[in-house]
Amino acid sequence: MSYAYLFKYIIIGDTGVGKSCLLLQFTDKRFQPVHDLTIGVEFGARMITIDNKPIKLQIWDTAGQESFRSITRSYYRGAAGALLVYDITRRETFNHLASWLEDARQHANANMTIMLIGNKCDLAHRRAVSTEEGEQFAKEHGLIFMEASAKTAQNVEEAFIKTAATIYKKIQDGVFDVSNESYGIKVGYGGIPGPSGGRDGATAQSGGCCS
Amino acid sequence: MLETDLHDLSDDADYAASQQQGSTTMMRTDSGRGSSSSEHEGAEVVYSKENVTIHPTQFASERISGRLRLIKQGSCLFITWIPYKGQNSNAKLSERDRNLYTIRGVPFTEVRSIRRHTPAFGWQYVIIVLSSGLAFPSLYFYNGGVREFLATVKQHVFLVRSEEDANTFLVNDFQNPLQRTLSSLELPRSGSIASAVSSASVDVSPSNSERRAGEDSHDERSRISRYGGKQRHKAQDPARDLPIQILEKFSLVTKFARETTSQLFRENHNNGFSVAEMRIQNQSSLDSPQTSSNDLEKVTDDSPVVQDPIQFDKLTLVWGKPRQPPLGSEEWATFLDAEGRVLDSTSLRKRIFYGGVEHNLRKEVWAFLLGFHAYNSTYAEREYLQSIKRSEYLTIKNQWQSISPEQAKRFTKFKERKGLIEKDVVRTDRSLSFFDGDENPNVKLLHDILLTYSFYNFDLGYCQGMSDFLSPILFVMGDESESFWCFVALMERLGPNFNRDQTGMHCQLFAISKLVELLDTPLHNYFSQHDCLNYFFCFRWVLIQFKREFAYEKVMHLWEVLWTHYPSEHLHLYICVAVLKRYRNKIMGEQMDFDTLLKFINELSGHIDLDAAIRDAEALCVCAGENGAANIPPGTPPSLPLDDGSYYIQQDEVL
Repeated sequence: MSYAYLFKYIIIGDTGVGKSCLLLQFTDKRFQPVHDLTIGVEFGARMITIDNKPIKLQIWDTAGQESFRSITRSYYRGAAGALLVYDITRRETFNHLASWLEDARQHANANMTIMLIGNKCDLAHRRAVSTEEGEQFAKEHGLIFMEASAKTAQNVEEAFIKTAATIYKKIQDGVFDVSNESYGIKVGYGGIPGPSGGRDGATAQSGGCCS
Repeated sequence: MLETDLHDLSDDADYAASQQQGSTTMMRTDSGRGSSSSEHEGAEVVYSKENVTIHPTQFASERISGRLRLIKQGSCLFITWIPYKGQNSNAKLSERDRNLYTIRGVPFTEVRSIRRHTPAFGWQYVIIVLSSGLAFPSLYFYNGGVREFLATVKQHVFLVRSEEDANTFLVNDFQNPLQRTLSSLELPRSGSIASAVSSASVDVSPSNSERRAGEDSHDERSRISRYGGKQRHKAQDPARDLPIQILEKFSLVTKFARETTSQLFRENHNNGFSVAEMRIQNQSSLDSPQTSSNDLEKVTDDSPVVQDPIQFDKLTLVWGKPRQPPLGSEEWATFLDAEGRVLDSTSLRKRIFYGGVEHNLRKEVWAFLLGFHAYNSTYAEREYLQSIKRSEYLTIKNQWQSISPEQAKRFTKFKERKGLIEKDVVRTDRSLSFFDGDENPNVKLLHDILLTYSFYNFDLGYCQGMSDFLSPILFVMGDESESFWCFVALMERLGPNFNRDQTGMHCQLFAISKLVELLDTPLHNYFSQHDCLNYFFCFRWVLIQFKREFAYEKVMHLWEVLWTHYPSEHLHLYICVAVLKRYRNKIMGEQMDFDTLLKFINELSGHIDLDAAIRDAEALCVCAGENGAANIPPGTPPSLPLDDGSYYIQQDEVL
């Protein structure tokens, strides 16, 4: 698989907010209510197109439980984008956003693009966090914001792609030195599979969140 | 310049004996005392050194000295090392030991590399690694002469200095990358220590071992050569890709070999279970078709064709036991006395280590392995314990069951824990029929046991990964209370994996890094240079003991093997090292960075050969010996905690 750029994404947020389901919906376009909880980290990948450029997203889906934070922190390194996820039906997952953000600010590079996602918006009848609160939080912290549903696929595609578009724009604006991999961006080789492309080829095909 | 060999070898008892056995022996020459000019039929000693000594143990009294020689026959160079007769006063160093270590005419076509060690203090020594992947014991040159030895070898065989290590000399190494590639394509398997061992060896069944115990060692050798004489071709050289330094570690194995052998002769075999033993053959490559592709490039500069078919039967190395079938009911019964006590728990654990347990027997055996039942308990005592423990379980369970909704509102920690467990049990092994479907009662049991445990051990509480441990236990034990207590017993050892500050995990990851440093220094250096020394890529392996890396049945097998704590409590760490070593060439060859490595390791899930990993791990564990154990900090899980009580004190902050 050839790509113009490869972006590393990391999905973070409390346990059970639907990180793995968002990933699976994005990579495999399906919702799997029954899957194993994530231990450590899982990987997914998908090709998207922005500005007619093939861009590969390599997505790291992390374990949410507090105990694993020290391990999770090592995954931030070299991430170009982060999806910070909470569950609109569980207030505490929203309350913990600040602590997640602090981790991200501390351990990721400063130019990492962060997308705040209020997941499970299909469960409006059990909503515990209003859309406005989400918007407000995002605005205060300079994040992009969307409510989404891994179950219905609403806004899932958009969330990942919008993040990529933002990163892509930063590249166009010269924010990144794309040759420096610590920004989580790898330059591909046009139509020719580059070393990274070859290496990750298999994942791009399988795509699932569970290895 | 040098005397001829017929005479010289004839005065050696081993040589004479082997001739009596009728095996065609190396160095036989029609020209009798013929001069060295008849070198195409005869043999010529091109190097000879006295007082070349091996150190099978750390005891100076057990060292064995002998004469090292290089012998040229035709275009083939052979190495021999014959220990002196009656030199050792120690009675334990019997004929058998001498036979075990004697090197009788091994052709250099069988040699992969020679490593020179020149310590600042002490004797210089060399380690000779065979292409089968095994190594002879270190040969200490008490009278010096290592340089001369290497120079002589170089005159007769293609010897190049390794690019990795200036003290390592590769024998018959293919410089042409194309040939290297071609030859590697012929490998049935590559890169694995276990496969290197197994493909180069003859499995000896317990019955053979028993029989052999009473046999004359010469009979033994000739028989083995019948077993394996024509099986292995030089072209099948699975060890080609193994790094020298790893192979070299196997020279340590001879100590193990010696111990194992003597044990073999001591042991009674009435339990049908004898010591691991695997004889490594060094047949002459001359048995193989000369056209095998590995030999092709040698043909170009000198022809290895020798007229006399030569047989070599070697008794050089002994290796760990091949995997066995799982322990079945009948055999299990032989471990129990009339009242149900396990008479010899060590033998039992050893038996399970090598073969696991048949599934229908797991329910009974796991309770012992996990420590819920004592090995010396009787049927009656166990039954009594179960009933006591059942009511104790119900009491603890009742503690949370009796919390009213009103009380729960004011008990945030309880609500959080319960919520977390509820979320996780529906995400644990649901693809198994045992746990699938809505309202599955076994999912409810998972929930109840975990929540009860979080009350039993409130300080530790609940952490993700625990449900992965409980699931197979519940699957096997079935009973709620028994599952709970077995889980409790397991958490006594592995609870620290879930410490909030991750101390238990860091301890184990640290130990892995030390073991890799010990057992594969180049790989360690690679990780060091690539900022991978935190070993976080092994995190999932260690946290839930490979639960996500193998199919369910394999996991149960692996766990019962690990729970035997034979040959080490920390075998799981050696399994980590074994798997890393198996893929070390890929990791280093592809210059994987931390991210790539993590992803690579993750994706090994479902692709690891469990039996090979266990055997590799056992081998590594034996090789590492006390050095390995010394590199694992005291109290590293699953060792029982050093300081009870202080282990789980932590801030419970459930997200």
